[in-house]
Amino acid sequence: MSLGAIVGLLALNLWLLAVGVAVLFAIRGLASWADLLRLGGLAYMLGLSCMGILWTWELTAGLGISFATVFATGFAVAVSAVLVGHRLGRSFPARPSFAALGVPSVTAAVGGGLTVVYLEALFRAGRLAGLYEFDGWSFWVPKAKAIYFFGGLDHQFFRELPNQSYPPIVPALEAAAFHFTGGADVVTLHLQFWFLLAGFVAGLVGILASRVPALFLWPPLLLVLVTPHVVGYALQPQGDFLLDELFALGALLVALWLTERRDWTLVAAALLLAASVLTKREGYLFAALVVLAALLASSRSARALWPKLALMGVAAALMTVPWRILLIVRDLESGAPEAGGGGLFAHADRGWESLRLTLSVLFDFDIWLVVLPVGLLAIAVGILNGARRLPVFASLVYLFGIAGLTWATWAFPTLPVTKEAALNPIVRLTGSLILVTAALVPILLSAGRGANEAVVAR
Amino acid sequence: MRANLSRIGAWLAVAVCAGFAVVYFAKALSHLNKMAEDNSAVSFSDREIAGGNSILVDQQAAYEARGVIPRDETYRVVTGSAMKNTTPLTLPFVESWLRYFLMPRRPRADAQWIVCYGCDVAKLGGSYQVLWQDENGISLGRIR
Repeated sequence: MSLGAIVGLLALNLWLLAVGVAVLFAIRGLASWADLLRLGGLAYMLGLSCMGILWTWELTAGLGISFATVFATGFAVAVSAVLVGHRLGRSFPARPSFAALGVPSVTAAVGGGLTVVYLEALFRAGRLAGLYEFDGWSFWVPKAKAIYFFGGLDHQFFRELPNQSYPPIVPALEAAAFHFTGGADVVTLHLQFWFLLAGFVAGLVGILASRVPALFLWPPLLLVLVTPHVVGYALQPQGDFLLDELFALGALLVALWLTERRDWTLVAAALLLAASVLTKREGYLFAALVVLAALLASSRSARALWPKLALMGVAAALMTVPWRILLIVRDLESGAPEAGGGGLFAHADRGWESLRLTLSVLFDFDIWLVVLPVGLLAIAVGILNGARRLPVFASLVYLFGIAGLTWATWAFPTLPVTKEAALNPIVRLTGSLILVTAALVPILLSAGRGANEAVVAR
Repeated sequence: MRANLSRIGAWLAVAVCAGFAVVYFAKALSHLNKMAEDNSAVSFSDREIAGGNSILVDQQAAYEARGVIPRDETYRVVTGSAMKNTTPLTLPFVESWLRYFLMPRRPRADAQWIVCYGCDVAKLGGSYQVLWQDENGISLGRIR
């Protein structure tokens, strides 16, 4: 709870940023310092994703999370990335100059200012927050403490704690945070989730600021940030919001690839989606729906586009294999649905109720304000503008997302059909479709303006 | 016509987002300020125990357990009907909450260290040396 703990947490997140900058240099290149500053948020999320994936592999191999492994892993990633980038002919930006950033518009200045004020208020709210959330003290934080105290995936705790199949990125990140804060400080831990949200916001803005008008970017983003659920729960030390953030950025990069065909966005999306799968088991569902939606949205150019999309999906899936192997080797729960296969038919009566529950949550004004209606309106605008791929992609993301969330209640008959957070996780799960709306609305409103769907290609 | 519709749609989307964002931005700030004030107003122990406050009945029990049981020892939480002032969450969740709180101490079924929540001492299987107890029926001790 001390200032020293916050400084330690800041150091961890700067380290993640540094690693991510190296990764971004390798997969995209950094043309200027302005470029680096603009894409800093994305670099941070990529650094987090790479480190999270590697931490998962290390944990499954029997290693622990310590200062040494955090630094050594990051150093190895950064050096490898720089070497790869050098090999690919990337060059470092020359003299520091941020002139290319230009002067922000009034809308961008107001939107950016409001976002900074919001994040400052959120920081203060999380600064001294206690751990009240049931799932937080029931298994997320105990798993992190087990990694922190025992140096790895302790056999006893990872068998006895609930939700054995949940992947370990969040507990690993929390364990790293404990090392940097100087102890198992579950109060300061909330601020780690502030860094994640700030990284997501910075990443989204950095990706879109040069592509869409500020008027299409900031209002949808602010709308999502001020929804009651984000305000109330974004800093909970659990996996839900990190899953949402990684999914939303991954889906955005795939959507941009569909129109711009810049392959670095697909590589970055593979890392983000793999990390989302290793954050929470629902990540499988969301990563799969992004790939499927992209495949269908690009079906007219299947021969040209599908191999790369398929490669991206396979690469993301392969990165999660070590965790699945560990579950089998240790004979832990697989996380498979209670009513798998034909079980859905045995509980057919829950199908309609589950769909109604999903829709009622997504359109619940008291939870998500009017975010989803705005998303649907943006799809209509994209279609009216003459765009095809982006509106189809966005429609399918929503459609498959609603189907998947319906399945998430339907396939687990022990879950009551209710919005009550203590009994059914549906409210938390819908966050993915809400955060992705902040990412997709700006490009949908811009889509089709001009000669082709690609807005300013960066 | 189509272009006009799309322009109207885009402006409508921006207007709706901006309108709700402005109104709810103020509400969000107010809510977050209140959260910050509430969080800073609670005592150190209330903040550290947090969710456990609705389970434990007595914060002191958790702190005594953490103080008395060595970090590398094992313990078991034994519950029973001799508890007073319980909440509906006490008996179902006290074991799992203490598992979170007392780490790195490990729970084990045959541990000698006992956190007794209204338990039947006669069934503990040995001579129970009480090191701390309160009037709610919580005790802390060791089997000899």
